Amino acid sequence: MQKIMIIEDDAVIRDELSLLLENEGYQAVPVQDFTDVPGQAREKQPDLILLDLGLPNRDGSLICGEIRRQSSVPIIFVTSRDSAMDEYRALSLGGDDYITKPYNIPVLLARVRAVLRRSSGTLEPDVIEGCGMKVSLSKGTVTAGGKTEELTRNELKILSYLLANEGKIVPRADLIDALWDSQIYIDDNTLSVNMTRLRAKLDNLGLPGCIKTRRGMGYQL
Amino acid sequence: MTLQEFLADRMRGILFWASFMAAAALFLSATGTQTGVIVILMIVTALAASTMQAMDFLRRRTRLRELEAILNGLDKKYLFSECVPPARDLYEDKLLEMLRRSGRSMIGAVSDAQAAQREYQEYVESWVHEIKTPITAARLICRNAGGEIRKKLSHELGQMEAHVERALFYARAGSPEKDVVIRPFSLEELVSQSIQNHKELLMQGGVRIETEGLDSVVYTDKKWICFILGQLLQNSVRYRGESPVITMSARQAGKQVSLTVADNGIGIPAHELPRIFDRGFTGSNGRTRGGSTGMGLYLCRKLTEFLEIQIQADSEEGQGTDVTLVFPAMDAFA
Repeated sequence: MQKIMIIEDDAVIRDELSLLLENEGYQAVPVQDFTDVPGQAREKQPDLILLDLGLPNRDGSLICGEIRRQSSVPIIFVTSRDSAMDEYRALSLGGDDYITKPYNIPVLLARVRAVLRRSSGTLEPDVIEGCGMKVSLSKGTVTAGGKTEELTRNELKILSYLLANEGKIVPRADLIDALWDSQIYIDDNTLSVNMTRLRAKLDNLGLPGCIKTRRGMGYQL
Repeated sequence: MTLQEFLADRMRGILFWASFMAAAALFLSATGTQTGVIVILMIVTALAASTMQAMDFLRRRTRLRELEAILNGLDKKYLFSECVPPARDLYEDKLLEMLRRSGRSMIGAVSDAQAAQREYQEYVESWVHEIKTPITAARLICRNAGGEIRKKLSHELGQMEAHVERALFYARAGSPEKDVVIRPFSLEELVSQSIQNHKELLMQGGVRIETEGLDSVVYTDKKWICFILGQLLQNSVRYRGESPVITMSARQAGKQVSLTVADNGIGIPAHELPRIFDRGFTGSNGRTRGGSTGMGLYLCRKLTEFLEIQIQADSEEGQGTDVTLVFPAMDAFA
């Protein structure tokens, strides 16, 4: 389990953030005592640090500098200050990313994932498998039973999101949400149209009815 | 000061002097002085008086020109009284002394007002940063709340964030040079960032977004332009009609790039269109729908002025509204 250290002086945010990260499958290490933060970072060996730049009595960017001197752990700044100067100063001190409060939670989680992936050197898989099919993200194709169908960008995103949540019921709103994150700005009706086309293609591959509609709840693969 | 103005100003004195001389000539002639002597006397005194007037004219004109040059050279004209050279005579000395007193009181008032404004601006900026912490905490707590409450609360939080952001940019618009960093960005990046920022609002409004031709590059400040685009998106959602669609499209016209945000919303009445960028103008739509502050588009106009972007709006009632931003040509920054 990847360990994320939270350096944040606001107790409510610290607790809620810990909860959020733990729900997402990370181990949260909230810092309670701000006297020797770099020392605690050395001791706990986190995989990622979320650092609030507005700590009481201490400038967060100094802490970043001290941590940087002894380790190359990725650091994401979380701050309510968003002037161009603040951003420049923070990144020049060796931060890996910069998020401003009030943050959009999905965006925060996406940045955390991205930084962790970069630092551990793993790539996102190109081929996702499940339900008897293989989806190639780079080629934009789905293969099953020896046959292959080409997918449009929208269909590819829909199918890969459903595959990533295989077995779970995916509400339409969550699906639209995920598509918007990939710069596909569709509404409810367009989703229905795309879904119909995707199902027709899966039918051709001999997988009829593999995407089930759960009335009033969403889709399930 | 022209010679004519000077003479007109001195006319009373000159006439008085001329009539006095005429009376003196009559007196001399009546008391038996020879006419020749009187004529010579008159010519000599007239010459002496004219020379004195001419010298006075030249002296004053030089002085006025000198003072005017100082005034023209001043960036802040109200500092004039602090910059004048020493007085030349008693009368000027008294005048300048009064001018200086008035000037000092003005300088004091101006610097007090500036300090108060700066302090207020700093306070607003720091307040905005403070308020973000509880909003962030509320966002995180809201995530754990149940369905309907979560949706409603997060909508309200979104509104709060929008108001806070406007306050921040209002304060920043006072000294834009402190915050703006002009760099090249693709329109694609700017548009998707601003959509991402307002994803919740747009999705809740059931909006479909279409983008077109966003591969141009513009030189601008990302944060500011995203704020401006955000205001336009917020308006399109607030004044949406049936099955709302927002189209964000770009066009290259010569060296300039224009970006249009078009919606199919309720539109703006033609007679209100010229005033929509005015401070505090809410219009009939704003009044009937509520929640309008009359600040969004006003701020857009202020910020675009600084970024040298032209902003214009077009609308037809019941059909929709188009707002176009014309970015400056790239060589303007080269």
